[in-house]
Amino acid sequence: MVPAMSSSGPQHYVIRVRGRLAPRWAPWFDGMALVPQDDGTTVIDGPVADQSALHGLLRTISDLGLPLVSVAATDEPTPS
Amino acid sequence: MVGPLLEGKYRAPARRPGTVTRPRLLETLGGTLRTALTVVSAPAGFGKSTLLAEWLAAVPARTAAVAFVSLDEGDDDPARFWTYALTAVHAAADVGAGALELLDAAPSSVESALVALLNDVGGMPRDLVLVLDDLHLVTAPGVHDGIAFLLEHRPPQLHLVLATRVDPPLPLSRRRARGELLEVRAADLRFTEQEAAAYLNGPMGLALSAHDVAALDGRAEGWIAALQLAALSMRGRDDVGAFIAGFAGDDRHVVDYLADEVLARQPDDVRDFLLATSVLERLTGPLCDAVTGRDGGRATLVALERANLFLVPLDDRRQWYRYHHLFADVLRAHLADERADDVPELHRRASDWFAERGDIPAAVDHALAGGHVERAADLMERAMPTMRRERREAELMRWVRAVPDGVVAVRPVLALAFVGALTQVSQFDTVAQRLADVERSLRPDGGAWPTEVPEGLVVVDDEGYRSVPAGVAVYRAALALRRGDLDGAAGHAREGLALTPDGDDLTRAAAGALGGLASWARGDLVGAEAAYVEAVAGLHRAGFVADVLGCCIALGDIRRTLGRPGDAERLYRWALELSDPAAPLRGTADMHVALAGALLERDDLAAAAEHLDTARGLGEHRGLPQNPYRSRVAQARLLEARGDLDAALALLDEAERVHDGDYSPEVAPVPAVRARLRIKRGELHEAESWARARHLSPDDEPTYLREYEHVTLARLLLARRDDAATRLLERLRAAAEEGGRDGSALEILVLTALAAQARGDVPAALDALRRAVALAEATGAVRVIVDEGPPIAGLLRALPKHDPAHAYARRLLAAGPSSPAGALVDPLSDRELDVLRLLGSELDGPDIARELSVSLNTMRTHTKAIYAKLGVTSRRAAVRRAHELGVFPRRR
Repeated sequence: MVPAMSSSGPQHYVIRVRGRLAPRWAPWFDGMALVPQDDGTTVIDGPVADQSALHGLLRTISDLGLPLVSVAATDEPTPS
Repeated sequence: MVGPLLEGKYRAPARRPGTVTRPRLLETLGGTLRTALTVVSAPAGFGKSTLLAEWLAAVPARTAAVAFVSLDEGDDDPARFWTYALTAVHAAADVGAGALELLDAAPSSVESALVALLNDVGGMPRDLVLVLDDLHLVTAPGVHDGIAFLLEHRPPQLHLVLATRVDPPLPLSRRRARGELLEVRAADLRFTEQEAAAYLNGPMGLALSAHDVAALDGRAEGWIAALQLAALSMRGRDDVGAFIAGFAGDDRHVVDYLADEVLARQPDDVRDFLLATSVLERLTGPLCDAVTGRDGGRATLVALERANLFLVPLDDRRQWYRYHHLFADVLRAHLADERADDVPELHRRASDWFAERGDIPAAVDHALAGGHVERAADLMERAMPTMRRERREAELMRWVRAVPDGVVAVRPVLALAFVGALTQVSQFDTVAQRLADVERSLRPDGGAWPTEVPEGLVVVDDEGYRSVPAGVAVYRAALALRRGDLDGAAGHAREGLALTPDGDDLTRAAAGALGGLASWARGDLVGAEAAYVEAVAGLHRAGFVADVLGCCIALGDIRRTLGRPGDAERLYRWALELSDPAAPLRGTADMHVALAGALLERDDLAAAAEHLDTARGLGEHRGLPQNPYRSRVAQARLLEARGDLDAALALLDEAERVHDGDYSPEVAPVPAVRARLRIKRGELHEAESWARARHLSPDDEPTYLREYEHVTLARLLLARRDDAATRLLERLRAAAEEGGRDGSALEILVLTALAAQARGDVPAALDALRRAVALAEATGAVRVIVDEGPPIAGLLRALPKHDPAHAYARRLLAAGPSSPAGALVDPLSDRELDVLRLLGSELDGPDIARELSVSLNTMRTHTKAIYAKLGVTSRRAAVRRAHELGVFPRRR
């Protein structure tokens, strides 16, 4: 279940893409954390200002040719 | 204008060497010429553009012309986008010149430009393929609306091909279901193992085993960009097998892994070049030299292209290139990682280079990207007047958003220019606050506007600074006008005129036009006339001829209402002289239409018809927004004057459909014009419904804005023989005379005369007519009187010889419908009409009396009165005369 987007303030998102992504790509994702996972995916984790910013992130992912696995809004940062 | 067009943007790309022929996909694309829409949709690096280039090269020129547009983010603006698209179409197929001109003249009316294009394409002997590449970079709704419009109204010759990373916002599933959509998607575009082998062992010059190819293709999942990077990494390697094993066994992002490999294998100077120039969206030799601080940029680019290092040429002459999107991203990531401190300086150099060449938008982009906000603001402030004149609205809006509030706050000239940009796109919500901020920064205590720039404020455009006080007033006038606060608008506009410094013709003109519009809508036509004269003079001096023509429509209308049609006519002729006949400006058609109206009033129907023909021949794109409806109303007036009331009515219906008032006050609404024609046709019922719908009453307070409607109501009352007409006309005349509107007063006096005649008050009728004729004579007006037909002709004839109005009355009679007499001064009563009808029959006197159930004596009295009014002495003469006058009654 995806929590409803709050009307103001950033929402925390966890985006998973296939492939391991070097940390130097972090600036592309507006300072979100890039956390490589054991299963060959990378979790992009952090606050997203609003829906436009979220779509911008998804577009960056597409532009880099990264296959998108999942997008989820969470209440809190995922424990690393 | 939308700024300089990059030639490379609208050339179909040449087939690139080093690509693999893909027969299966070419065959699919062959269906493009049999379908309306082809969508090539896949993420970056799937070879979309390459495939299209290969297919387009194979389309025979006699079958189809190919227009190709390579889009980028800067094209996210409908006017700019369609300018590129139409330029491409024009270059490819030599059609759409009119559409381009239309768009250039009115960047906001995309749809009419597209209609012009579709008409042209519909007449083409061969097909037209319009390819929009990288469409995902454009998100403006106006662009997608236009594409949908093209698809909806396409002639069979037109085929659209959209290449994009994101499915376009069109109802694709509906088209898919109907089989009207050809799709090539990622799954189709992926390299099969055979294609991968052909590519790697062909153009890339490797000699890989089937096993190696399968391993690579599997790891890359057929993604061509990845295979290309892999091939580049393997070139010149001895240990290809080990590389493939390493690659296949690694779970890093393919691009990351391979680009690292490619970059690591470049000599240091090439690597430095690639990283430094990755800040550029487009590359050319001298620009690269400026950014890297070295020579030989052009040679390096040629060498990179030859080495297939993801460099895409943008033109045939190898002047401009761009990096492949994916590769550019990798380069930028490395640059940010390794040389983060250099990035601002690289952008500054690029910004300088573009600024020196006058490409201010690119210079601004780089200044902003490098974090040089002050520099960007300086550039913007200087470029603002040009940018606004060229209506580069999308860029202006980006600028407004990009500069932080703190920077704008200390730059009054820039802040005011931003206000101008916002009003240009009708975003008024922050305008009042911004204007207050500008004023407070310059005169916090409300004192005089300072001539010297106060300490702490930044001004780079000194001339612009002198105009800030007037500018603030002008934008406040615009804001007030928008809110409907006419008094406020007129006041601010006056203040703006007073504050405008010498030589700032544009601000003076803006203040004049806004003040003129406000005064006009308030009914102060004398004030409006003076303000529009200022606007026209200012625009003329500033060289904005097209805008001069726009203001002349309003000024001419006002002068005619003021009873100065001669001045209006001279104005139209002067305005027409401004425009070069070889390249008529937009607004020329409007001037011809206006002139036709003035000529029509003088009863020069032939000349009026000629000007209407000229206006039509100029084409719609030479007309301002009001022209479609105004030209039809004028044409209807001409037809009416010639007696073709049916055709006139049909044209008025059309006029209403195409009506666009363009913010002018609605002083002669088309429905009221039509109601007048209905009255003339005797269709009072229709006119009555109109009057009811408009809530018109003879007791309304007469105001200028409803004057035309009220005069129309008076005509309706008159036709119904309703006494209320007299009262209403009396008040309308007083209001018109009070406002100096001699043109209105003339018409009202004519109707007053008719109303007096209808109630049998011949002296009052002649008195009103005398005054009307005097006004008409002073201005050369003819139709306003003559159009009333026989009733007014009878009155005119009744003016005694010694009357001062007599001579002009004779002229009017000569111009009128050439009936031998005209109508009766003293009209026949209903009973007399009954008798007259029977006088035309076979019945004798007693029979007629019986038929009408009156005594023979009464019947004789009526007959005598009829003879007297008709000026005859016999029954036969009475009947003949009644027929001549058109008063012979029909059977009721």
